[in-house]
Formats: sequence, structure tokens, C-alpha cells
Amino acid sequence: MPSAMVLNEDEALELLAFLITAARTQLDEAAEYGPLRMLTAAGRLADFIAERASPGTRGLLAGPLKELPDAALRAVDPTKYAAQLDVVCRAVGEHLVSHFGSGRSES
Amino acid sequence: MTNAVLEAIRTRRVARALTDAPIDRALVEEILKAARWAPSGGNRRLHRFVAVQDPMTIRLLRMASPGMFQRPQAVIVICIDGPRARSFGMLPTAKGVYVDVGTAAQTMLLAAHSLGLGAGPVTSFSRAAVGAILNLPEGLSPEMFICLGYAAPEQPSAIRPRTPVTWQSLSHWERFP
Repeated sequence: MPSAMVLNEDEALELLAFLITAARTQLDEAAEYGPLRMLTAAGRLADFIAERASPGTRGLLAGPLKELPDAALRAVDPTKYAAQLDVVCRAVGEHLVSHFGSGRSES
Repeated sequence: MTNAVLEAIRTRRVARALTDAPIDRALVEEILKAARWAPSGGNRRLHRFVAVQDPMTIRLLRMASPGMFQRPQAVIVICIDGPRARSFGMLPTAKGVYVDVGTAAQTMLLAAHSLGLGAGPVTSFSRAAVGAILNLPEGLSPEMFICLGYAAPEQPSAIRPRTPVTWQSLSHWERFP
């Protein structure tokens, strides 16, 4: 069964523009902005798809993805910042398994 | 010691979140009038300002500006006029030209604050994309946005926590030891 469309063209273009222009601005900017830009893009994508995503994905967006570490933590305690991001990454991984199925092969 | 100017300097903050409340064009004009009084090296006036209030144009600017967290009601784009700089024998990339971007920006930020507006500078944007969106003439380089609106009650946290800073920690007297 095909997946439901969760982005319209305007939203996709907005995200595309953000990613492309961020790639350019990051060449001149502080390295610490890198993760921030990626998380900002993820946040915008999450906002766009929240209403049209499956209940499971909505749960991810409303739960673990709302628990992203405070940006200021990276400067204060980089190890703790990384650990908190790992918690979110783990939740994303678990959701991927739940959404796509584990060990399922289409080949 | 205090007075109205010092109080404005001390109480101004960068607004990273703005409300949906519109702002009058007259307020934007007052900020542009204030910028006209900003210090300009040699009184050369190498900068041009583009004021934007059209919601769609602001939306497009935001799409090309990874550093724009706020959703502004108006944006003033500070541009360097390259041909004018060259007419004075200066490179548009000379440090002094960028210093004057800063003096104009700070003047606008303080003017906005004095008018009860929230304001935030943004430099993280694609010059090329913004040039296309604003149809800037060849040689006019966008260097900074001043995002304007009314500050939201809740502001997102800064990228690093506020640490105590004193003027002494930033300054030396006469010469370094």
C-alpha cells in the first residue's frame, strides 16, 4: 500500500530552500550552527507533516521529538547534549522499525 | 548613572520570537529615519535599505534564511552598495563597509526598542537567493536583516547560556600589561 502524502508542494519547497541555503550559509558560519540548522529543518518538517502523518508517526512527533535538548546545552555540556540527542535518535530508530517493520524485505 | 539613552541600551534584547500582530508602516519609516543618523565612515553612505512588509515576500525571505527563527511582520534588509563603494576607491568587502552595516543595524535595533517593537538581526541567509527574491540590482549585496514585530512573551533560548559579563571583563585600560 502506498504511503500517504504528508507534504504539499509549498511545504516541500520551503524545506528544500531551507536545506539548500543552509548548506551555503554554513560554509561561512560557526560549526556549532550545523546541528542547530539540521534540528530546525527537522522541526519544520515535523510541523508540516504532523496533521497528515500516521498515528504512530504523530506519536513520535508529539513525544520524543518534543524532547530535543536545549540549544544552549551544547555549549555548557556537549556530552550531555549528545546523550540527549542519542535518546531522540533511539526513539526515531524504534519508530522506523515499528513503521517499516523489522526484517521485512521487499526483494 | 542613567538616562533615557543608557536605559534603552541596557534594556534592548534580541527578539527571536514575534507575535502575529501587524506593525504600522509609520513605525518602519521611523526606524529608517533613525538609520539615516547612524555613523557612516567618511559620510560616504555606502548602504541601502530595503523595507519589506508584504507577507509573501517575508515568507520567501524566511525560506532562504536558515537563521531566521522569528516570523517577522516587517524586515529591513541592509545592503552594501558595491558600485558606490568602488566610486570612492573602496572594495565593497573592505572592513569599514561592514562596520557601517553594524552601526546602521544597532541604530535600527535601538530605534525599534524605543518604539516598543521587538527586533532581531539575522545574517544567516543566502545572499544569492535574497538577491533574486528582492530583485536587487547588480552590485547591491544584502548583508543583514532587521526582523521587526512585537516580541512574544516567551522567547526561545539562545545558542549559549547568558554568562555574567562586566565592562571590565571586556575592556583594558590604556594598554595591555
